[in-house]
Amino acid sequence: MSEIVMQISNVSKVFPSRDSKKGFTAVDSISIDLHKGEVLGVVGESGSGKSTLARCAFGITAPTSGSVTILGQDMAGKSRRATRSLRSNLGFVFQDPAGSINPRMSVQRAIAEPLLLAGQSSDEIDKRVNFLMDRVGLASSQLSRKSHELSGGQCQRVAIARALATNPKIVLLDEPTSSLDLSVQAQILNLLEELRRDFDLTYFLISHNLDVVSHLSDRVAVMRDGVFVEVGKTSDVVNAPAHPFTRELIRAYSGVEKLESDMPADFDLDRWQDGPLNRWAFQNVSQFLPVATIGGSKSPVNLPQSIDPTIDFVKVEVEGKTYSVPELLEDIDTDAIVVLHKGSIVYEKYFNAMTPTSLHLLQSVSKSILGALYAILAERGVVDISKPIAHYLPELVSSVYEHATIAQALDMTVAIDFSEDYLDPNSEMARLDRAAGWRSNSTGRDLALRGFLKTLRANGEHGKVYQYCSANTDVLAWLISEVTGIQYQDLVSQEIWQPMGAAIDASVTLDSEGLSVGNGGISSTARDLALFGQLILDGGRAQGVQIIPQHWVDETFAGASTDVISADYLQALHPGGSYKNKWWITASSSREIFGVGIYGQYVWVDPTTQCVIAKFSSLPIPVDSLHSRKHMALFRAICSANIPT
Amino acid sequence: MSTVLKLSNVEVDFEINGVVVNSPLRGINLEIKAGKTLGIVGETGCGKTLTATAIMGLLPSSAVQRGVVEFGNHGAVSSGDMAAIRGSEITMIFQNPAAAFNPIFTIEAQLRMVAQRRNIAKDEIDSTLIHRLESVGLKDSQRVLASYPHQLSGGMLQRCMIAMALISTPMLLIADEPTTALDATIGAQVLALISSLQKREGFAMLFISHDVSAVAKVSDDIAVVYAGRIVETGPTREVMNSPQHPYTRGLLGAIPSAQKARGTLVAIAGNVPSVLTSVVGCAFAERCPLRIESCSQEPPIVQINNQSVSCWRAGQ
Repeated sequence: MSEIVMQISNVSKVFPSRDSKKGFTAVDSISIDLHKGEVLGVVGESGSGKSTLARCAFGITAPTSGSVTILGQDMAGKSRRATRSLRSNLGFVFQDPAGSINPRMSVQRAIAEPLLLAGQSSDEIDKRVNFLMDRVGLASSQLSRKSHELSGGQCQRVAIARALATNPKIVLLDEPTSSLDLSVQAQILNLLEELRRDFDLTYFLISHNLDVVSHLSDRVAVMRDGVFVEVGKTSDVVNAPAHPFTRELIRAYSGVEKLESDMPADFDLDRWQDGPLNRWAFQNVSQFLPVATIGGSKSPVNLPQSIDPTIDFVKVEVEGKTYSVPELLEDIDTDAIVVLHKGSIVYEKYFNAMTPTSLHLLQSVSKSILGALYAILAERGVVDISKPIAHYLPELVSSVYEHATIAQALDMTVAIDFSEDYLDPNSEMARLDRAAGWRSNSTGRDLALRGFLKTLRANGEHGKVYQYCSANTDVLAWLISEVTGIQYQDLVSQEIWQPMGAAIDASVTLDSEGLSVGNGGISSTARDLALFGQLILDGGRAQGVQIIPQHWVDETFAGASTDVISADYLQALHPGGSYKNKWWITASSSREIFGVGIYGQYVWVDPTTQCVIAKFSSLPIPVDSLHSRKHMALFRAICSANIPT
Repeated sequence: MSTVLKLSNVEVDFEINGVVVNSPLRGINLEIKAGKTLGIVGETGCGKTLTATAIMGLLPSSAVQRGVVEFGNHGAVSSGDMAAIRGSEITMIFQNPAAAFNPIFTIEAQLRMVAQRRNIAKDEIDSTLIHRLESVGLKDSQRVLASYPHQLSGGMLQRCMIAMALISTPMLLIADEPTTALDATIGAQVLALISSLQKREGFAMLFISHDVSAVAKVSDDIAVVYAGRIVETGPTREVMNSPQHPYTRGLLGAIPSAQKARGTLVAIAGNVPSVLTSVVGCAFAERCPLRIESCSQEPPIVQINNQSVSCWRAGQ
């Protein structure tokens, strides 16, 4: 590679801030080299720190720490006078062309100014100015004009001519075309490229416009919150972006095609969970329900891949019928499946417009995430799960939650007058959906979750009998954000999604008062759900950090005590299984645990084969024992196919 | 499908300091069907916002407007008639949300004012405001309502403005550069929001922007405007894939991207003409690489498939 003309090493810039003693870090230890003749483009949104970085690099602002070397000479700690000759190697072009030219100066004077400062004779200056005017495409008749007599494009040409006056080696282009019309922008971009080639210039280009940066640059650095989240050859960054923010930026710029909101014409808020509307709806919840973001990690885990092609040939037997894996996946209306073995992706398939980066509703798998969140916060002493729920939420006194404890709600042993019938529009479950905004509501009551939860009543002694009830999870999502003063979505993000290294922001639906729907409202990618399963499999550890207490994971695998395993519908679906900490535990010898949501959502964790499966479906009906048996058979067949390795 | 808005031969003249400026807007014909979006794209000073202002009946007294504006069931409406329609059946969102809100009132006070003016029953106002904010993706509606404009980000304010514009469930929403002041990723979210709201609520939209790709993303039809004239109009996909007017071709060729070789962007020579220069014949002729003698006369409107092109050389 050609010689390095600018070396930026560990440059940080911290501004004093009223809000924080430490100040505001605009640029955070950035290092990058500029090679002779290259164009380095820095793209970022407003406030990302790109201009501050450039000002530090070009000696306009002193960095708080770190060093900048230009043509082999260190800029730091030297007086302006001492660096004058060094600085003559630098040129500057800024965004607002009219604003960067003294309105009282003629074009001739504006371009001549740096030459006058350099002490050149008037003959030399005239020659140089005429040469530059010609090179930037301005007629000599314009020499006597002032900036207000020129168009934006002409002003920018003057600014470029002035930047090149002293024959600089490196030119800073800070949003050089942002205030220009598209057709004029094209003229200036072409001109900049022509000048770079002819004068062997090196450009440090800064822009918020990815199109401009990727067009002009050899290398692109994507900047956010003071750091480069991604640096690479332009074609690599544009065609195979690694960081989620880069992908979001590329999506924002891509295409001149109409965004089709592909919402089905017969979309109906009372039927969207059922097939076939759920085939679209489960991937597009944010198009019809309010959602909050569960932020992913800034340094996401990149799951290693070692795809096992033999899995497609695994046979699965269900009730006397034999399927291949692809046949069964189709049979159960699969939208996505990701299988991890010892932490590597061994199988990954997407259907029905789903992609590795698209979100899918988890339904009640959301509950298993809440279970893990409570484990973390209880360990830290934030909540005492042996306390009655109304201890933390006094407004629930006189409801079922007056005496029911958090632990009982986590294990579904609250004795509650609640019908979890998903299909009966008069069941408490349907009322819960209305309160969550998941159904239309013309009843005039159950307008939001909090009000609805207050109306629920006990119908027996808590802690004795298992009774699956979705409302128990919503009350816990409310409780934990009340106790911590932090919104539920932010708790999930900071305690689980970020530390485990989730690559893509997840989301959670909100009721009309902005409360997260904890019982089933989370949407995530299949990979990130698999990552969550891996976290459980690894005893609560990820990236070398204990995120979830190990003893909680062990207790979950151990399952509930046998006296609460009643002969209710659970046994038909999962014979001998139990429910603990918002997870299901199978009764098989391999002791798998799993989270499950209606219409076919699963996270399956098998410690015996070291496999994790995340799987999304849009089955036509919410619950069906044959579907459940098909899923279990599928998961066990895939997991056991991995035993030999 | 019924027509919501139809402009026939709309022209605007100005008189500035006793000097008459002829036709900064000339011969504008356009039509928007119920639930559909027409995008107007063009560069600075080409008359995009002036078109919106003329539709809303908000031109200053120095302006003279000719031609016919028809709206919904009202038929032809004068700018006086528009006063009753504006703000209820036609609403508008603007480029700079910070400037569109009054800085000394909370969002709630400002939304409430709009709801009251729209004769929404007193006991329904609270729920309407909350529902509206949620429909534009503002999760924390109580906090947003209690906030002053400076306490919200640009993206949130733009969502509030969209919520405000939809309180009266308008038939037509005019969006004038609604994403221009926002960061690209936030702008993309706002575009997606507008598209899905439109799908759900069925309003028609006039979407105005200098950003070709933003216009293309939300519009069913596109009108390319140059120097106060529509030079080309047609279905978005067709205009984008096979632009017919030399200006449209130039504009699309000027969009930079990693795929185009450096230094080879189509650069239309010269500058967008000032509104003050009066033009005879084709306004683009001065910058047009395909210029011929007849370009000094008013170009005909040529129909090519579904596109209307105002050019002497169209179809050649």
